[in-house]
Amino acid sequence: MRRIALVLAVLTLASCSSRQSLFVVLPNPDGSSGAVTIEDGQKSVLLDHPYAAGEVRGGVPAPVQVDQAQVQQIFGNALAAQPVLPSHFVLYFERDSDTLTPPSARQYQAVFTDIKRRQVYEVEVIGHTDTLGNPPHNQQLSMSRAMMIRDRLVHDGISPKSISVAGRGQLDLAVKTADQVAEPRNRRVEITVR
Amino acid sequence: MNPVNRAWRAAASITFILTLLAVSHSAANADNSQVAQIKTVSGQAEIVRNGARVAARIGDPLYEKDTIDTGGDGSIGITFIDNTVMSSGPNSEIVLEDYKFNSSDFKGSMLTDMNRGTVSMISGDIARSSPGAMKVKTPSAILGVRGTRFVIQVKDNR
Repeated sequence: MRRIALVLAVLTLASCSSRQSLFVVLPNPDGSSGAVTIEDGQKSVLLDHPYAAGEVRGGVPAPVQVDQAQVQQIFGNALAAQPVLPSHFVLYFERDSDTLTPPSARQYQAVFTDIKRRQVYEVEVIGHTDTLGNPPHNQQLSMSRAMMIRDRLVHDGISPKSISVAGRGQLDLAVKTADQVAEPRNRRVEITVR
Repeated sequence: MNPVNRAWRAAASITFILTLLAVSHSAANADNSQVAQIKTVSGQAEIVRNGARVAARIGDPLYEKDTIDTGGDGSIGITFIDNTVMSSGPNSEIVLEDYKFNSSDFKGSMLTDMNRGTVSMISGDIARSSPGAMKVKTPSAILGVRGTRFVIQVKDNR
């Protein structure tokens, strides 16, 4: 009986001392980082700088030291499976028109190249206008801007079923203005590629 | 009311209830839209959906409640519709427990169950939308995400 109790005690100790989970914050490409909190219902551990790490042992979270080499050893396979990160583009238009401005016409190629480097892709195209003109007209204009980009992508060989299109009219201004204000930065199509 | 009549009425009301159930079930399915797409697959990687197990293929859609399961040589990478990016290494099990995202105002919430293995995540619009919107649950703790890149390992202590 005593022996069983001893074995149980050792087993309990062993399970208490082994690591159940590990959490590590990684740096963003620019060297900054966000933050995560680990909570078990009672205790909370904040990780808020690159390579800040926490672990849970015996159900209790606590900070722990890890370095870049350990991260690579434990998470190398997961990190290698990471998809190409999503990209975001903004193309600008001439006033009351679905014609791209000359700089944006040149930038179109970057959008196309970004899509083509992905094995599979999804493209979201959302059109916008400034506050010049009335809302129904702008709704239509934002949609024809988005459709212009979509048609060009399809013409260049991008799969139409992987492109979604929306027009937001003057609802989502990039630069807040009063009504009836011509603002080149609001005459745009926002494109997300992932 | 005679017994035959009563039986008919009972049968009719059961049929009515079954019809209601069928209608509400199909409505729930119609609501179940794609939340992510598989972008990379290597080795053995499977998706468990409604109890059925299928091999993960690049380009396939993922839905809320799907389970991602990788074998000893497997890894998989997916991108969610809010641009959250997630990839996992071998011997991993991850459940897309809860995922809500409004593509008009870019707000939503997600809860991912990290049951075992390794995962790398880069948060997207949901984590940006409000504090506490993105959470990852492990068997021993809950992770609250405030916009960042991070990795998690959960040891299989079964």
